[in-house]
Amino acid sequence: MNIDPLISAYLADQETYKSGNVIIEEGSKGDWVYIVLEGQVKVTKRTSVGLLTMDVLKKGAIFGEMALFGKALQARSASVIAADGNARVGVLDTRQLMAEYESLSLELRSVIKALITGLAESNGKAAALVVAANKKGHKN
Amino acid sequence: MANNPLEAPPIVSLSYKKGDLIIKEGDYGVSIYKILEGKVSVYREAEGEEILLGTLGVGDIFGERTFLNRAADTRSASVRALEDTKVEVWHTARLSREYDEMPPIIKYITDQVLSRSNRMNNLIVQLATKEQKEKANRAKEDPLASKRRFYRKKVDLFCQYQPAGAPSKFNLDGRIKDISLDGLAMKVTRRNTVGVSHATGDIFVVNTVLPNKKTVELEAEVVTIQKGEIPEELDLSMNITDIEPGSRKSLGFFLMP
Repeated sequence: MNIDPLISAYLADQETYKSGNVIIEEGSKGDWVYIVLEGQVKVTKRTSVGLLTMDVLKKGAIFGEMALFGKALQARSASVIAADGNARVGVLDTRQLMAEYESLSLELRSVIKALITGLAESNGKAAALVVAANKKGHKN
Repeated sequence: MANNPLEAPPIVSLSYKKGDLIIKEGDYGVSIYKILEGKVSVYREAEGEEILLGTLGVGDIFGERTFLNRAADTRSASVRALEDTKVEVWHTARLSREYDEMPPIIKYITDQVLSRSNRMNNLIVQLATKEQKEKANRAKEDPLASKRRFYRKKVDLFCQYQPAGAPSKFNLDGRIKDISLDGLAMKVTRRNTVGVSHATGDIFVVNTVLPNKKTVELEAEVVTIQKGEIPEELDLSMNITDIEPGSRKSLGFFLMP
């Protein structure tokens, strides 16, 4: 299996999850950052109309980055679940990543943080809109 | 001084009044703003509607997308001051150099977050536009919806009316006795019918000024004509067939319980 050398330098561990197994649990604490190496993972959010799939991530996709760089986001904002067969994920070295991040100026870090908190907010907003649309569907 | 990269450029701060547009979607610009005082809303325009993407407050940053996304050179959303707002404007030349030289792993992650964020915002605009369209359709399909929200009000309003499409010299006087968003009852003098047809199915353009001083113009079709309490008068009941949005809004406000 070929892993991008850019990524392999930060790879601390590799884990395999069976379809449906939870890699990150929404609401839990943790700051591990992952990358999809093989297979697919689903990003889901709990809503009043059930579990909502927000995104499907494929090989090369990073996830869990919000907790590390978002800082304000203490708890995981979404769950990540292995989808469609086994998913092989790489765990990135948090300390190494953090060191790179902290080498940036305060301004650049706050720009990245703004982008990440913005995404977390957008995810929440999109989920709320889907829930609203579904509720209407039930009524009619 | 500006040519010396070691010298920090002076920080510029700008003040905006409540309601001012700070960034306009589609405009060119790469500056990044940090809110020192106040509050702003971030929105995109779709089919004439403003779709809110978020609100930001003191300490928050906006305008970073055009800076981070080198492929885009125009603003992806508008930003408006929700209250009197003071912002710090960042000189992006130095930041830009740093961004180009930052560790590839951070760039790798940032690029992914940026494209996900763009995708999610497009989804929000799509969902919100769909929702608004459905709302408009529901209102159209359900004519009773407007009656549920607005009462029919008894009034005594002077009005002028004329057959639809007729020159303005045909202006006739009447009195509106009650009105809703769907129809109205009008009292006219029998003299008006001389030379001007007043029959079921006729359409009149009616002008009036509501007690709240708002002018309303609408088109209405005659549904029934009855003798009034006195022989000189006729009572017309009419269905509103067309009303311009501004008039509809004014009338709606007037009729609200």
